[in-house]
Amino acid sequence: MIDLENLNINLTQEERATLEGSQGPTMQKVMETVVLYGEALRAEKLVDIEGDGHFVIPWCTPGVAPSLEMLDELAEAGLKTKYPFTLDPHAPIDFNNLGLSKDVEEKIEEMYQDQNRYDERMLQLGLRDWEAYTCNPYQPEVGNIPRIGTIVAWSESSCAVFANSVLGARTDRNGAIMDLLVNIVGKTPLVDLLTDEGRRASWLIEVKTELLPNPQLLGAAIGARVVADVPYIVGLGHFLGAELNPETLDYLQEMGAACATYGAVGLFHVENITPEAVEQGRDLLLPGHSSQIIDDKALQELFDNYPVLWSESEAEPEKCFIGCPHLSMNQLTWWVNKIDKALQSRGKDRLAIETVIFISPQLLHKFELDEKKYRRLIKAGVKLSASCSETIYETGLYSGKPVLTNSNKLRAYTSARFFPDEELLEILVTGEVKRDS
Amino acid sequence: MLPRQIKGEVLVTHKGFNAYASFAASLHDGVEEARCSDSSNKELYGKNLTDKIICLSKTIGSTSAGAVWQRVVKLGIAPKAMLFSQQIDSLAAAGLIVADLWGGKRICTIDQLGKKFLESMNNGIQVLIREDGTVEIQ
Repeated sequence: MIDLENLNINLTQEERATLEGSQGPTMQKVMETVVLYGEALRAEKLVDIEGDGHFVIPWCTPGVAPSLEMLDELAEAGLKTKYPFTLDPHAPIDFNNLGLSKDVEEKIEEMYQDQNRYDERMLQLGLRDWEAYTCNPYQPEVGNIPRIGTIVAWSESSCAVFANSVLGARTDRNGAIMDLLVNIVGKTPLVDLLTDEGRRASWLIEVKTELLPNPQLLGAAIGARVVADVPYIVGLGHFLGAELNPETLDYLQEMGAACATYGAVGLFHVENITPEAVEQGRDLLLPGHSSQIIDDKALQELFDNYPVLWSESEAEPEKCFIGCPHLSMNQLTWWVNKIDKALQSRGKDRLAIETVIFISPQLLHKFELDEKKYRRLIKAGVKLSASCSETIYETGLYSGKPVLTNSNKLRAYTSARFFPDEELLEILVTGEVKRDS
Repeated sequence: MLPRQIKGEVLVTHKGFNAYASFAASLHDGVEEARCSDSSNKELYGKNLTDKIICLSKTIGSTSAGAVWQRVVKLGIAPKAMLFSQQIDSLAAAGLIVADLWGGKRICTIDQLGKKFLESMNNGIQVLIREDGTVEIQ
């Protein structure tokens, strides 16, 4: 039981009463967890959460989710999040779309045998609806788009960094399980990225490249350099322009996902583009900030030094996973058009490598309505899935397989081999990875 | 932060510790030890993390890491302690507290030990951690 007399964090009477059990023993335990969390972060106090949540706990598998026993305990106590929430993508149980071998399918069935029960618990605890499962929840089709300045408590590192940086909302990088618990309490510690001071940049990153750099490589370079600090990035404006149009949103989403994977970046500012940078400019930079130039050479070296983690490094690629995080409509359309054009130019009908593109359920429904584009993609041999490519590797049976990806995030967590989009497209059409790649 | 008196062998990383990537290969039932599976961390990759005292600056990477700690505690393959030279980050704080209150076993956690602490630690050193948070090299 928490020692209420020796807390540094300032609690309201109502919060203290909850800690003393006024809302029952389960809520007392939830509150104790949240208060200890605030203490550990040296928070002055807890503040109210003001909008829908997004959490990184969609799967029932141990190690990436709260245990079913814990969810049962919360649900039986009648607890629910203050606002509805969305979740990361579904487990890969849509086998028709994935082309997995029998042993992998059997393993997945075994791993996710409790998924239905888990999903029911999530609905009881505040999940928005049965299809609220995507790692790109701020697409218009999904609609979890907190407004500028809104305090939320999100997890999923790629979503938290996007919410902070591009939407201008305020969230800390909450961990799995704590995401759910703070949203049940409806309060989150006032620290770091929720504060004006915590949102200032301690790094000036100057991008000096000849062309617009690949966002996933740039993000990885930035993340590895600044780790958990806030970078102020200059040098992208003359490539991207000043408007947050769909292409820029996609670029920043990919970059942010990589920043968060290779470091612990929860917020970045891009000069003249992201909302706080537009409003405050270089006043966001802290005195004595560090500086780093990232150029073409640095990015090429980064890419060249990625190890090939396939069991047989020279193997013919067997599969390609595109979309980690889930693609937007704009990105999906890019792939549809590019695949079509590339196949036509070579007089081919189908890609040489089995390819799965991962998108949200909402986008999948929308895309299916565009029959012409949908049929073009399917005819090219591409399948669409609303699940998560990374979770296929959690079976333990995919490690080392010759899989390609356009996602530097997927590369970080698996043995999939990353290529930038244009280069990957060439490989998908020809079936060949160049020896010096 | 989460006090406990224990002894053990040190493992050090000067890079951010990606908890999810490090334990990803060890989350299945039947695993007896956790070998670091983060290929980006050359200091720890392949090393046994179970029952070790891990000395680090901070954790990085996926917010899934919050649930990882609850799982490794349940499997009995968790480190004995996490000793942070800097203030603990939100991911580690969340995961270690949840593992403590909802997972039933404590991973001793101390933060703000300082840069000199991390510089003085080397792999293989035996340390004693006391309940008051002091760390003694044995």
